[in-house]
Amino acid sequence: MAQLSTKIKLYANQEVDFSKDVILQDDSNGKGAYIKEWNLSIAKPTDVQLASYETAGNAEEALQTILNTRARAYPTWQDQMDMQYKDLLNGTTTWKDAVAKVKLDNPKENNE
Amino acid sequence: MAITTINNRAINRADTAASGESWTATSATASDFQAAGANTPAFHAYLGSNQTSISGNVNVKVSIDTEILDTDSNFASNRFTPTTAGKYFIYANIVAEFDTDKLFIIRPKIYKNGSVVVAADSDFADNSISMMSAYVSTIVDMNGSSDYVEFYTKIDRYGGGTTTGTFYGGSEQKSYFGGYKLIT
Repeated sequence: MAQLSTKIKLYANQEVDFSKDVILQDDSNGKGAYIKEWNLSIAKPTDVQLASYETAGNAEEALQTILNTRARAYPTWQDQMDMQYKDLLNGTTTWKDAVAKVKLDNPKENNE
Repeated sequence: MAITTINNRAINRADTAASGESWTATSATASDFQAAGANTPAFHAYLGSNQTSISGNVNVKVSIDTEILDTDSNFASNRFTPTTAGKYFIYANIVAEFDTDKLFIIRPKIYKNGSVVVAADSDFADNSISMMSAYVSTIVDMNGSSDYVEFYTKIDRYGGGTTTGTFYGGSEQKSYFGGYKLIT
């Protein structure tokens, strides 16, 4: 199930500051998270409107999860710079191969 | 009985014994040397076990459930509702993580009657970390009847995603909530 903050970002179709624009709360009473304050200029979404973003929210979170996994798997930027330098010197493709492997191991739906 | 004279000399709190002078208090009780009042009601409780599945970007009430101290039985259901009016020192600590190495904000907050009265704020942006402890405290006026305080915390994962976070609990009292009445 997509998180409430993800569905709100999709509904608002803009950057949302969850410290000012929209305040979400969960009172740990089993009822889950809800909108406590809505300070955006567009109308506060209804539950039905938010529910309509469930599929898109799941897709967005899945994409972010892939990007997060890739971010962890990439070599550090220092290592990547070193790879590029050595590739230039030696005519090798270690940097390109390393990046490609991370992408291949963690594909997006469009295999990008 | 309050002490007003020592060795037949009127004194006040700022007085000190002169060089070579020895003061001897007689007929004094322990209360003569104490400030009036007591630091009660007081409570201290902690999160007994991990609180899991914490959604990102949501102020979540910390399920503080294990009491160490509750002098007047004023703490119940994660909420402190003191039955004596006055100023209270309220404190709380949270230890949280979000996914592996991806916690990037942690904002513990003390609420009074459902609204934030004090919040701490750490934001690591893309230099996210594995786990963090965050503390918050303040002084709150309580009416001794309906006023109550609660402890919430917001955490989030850098970059979003499907994962959720954890508030850490257990007997080491990593996450706790407490308070006591100030003598004023």
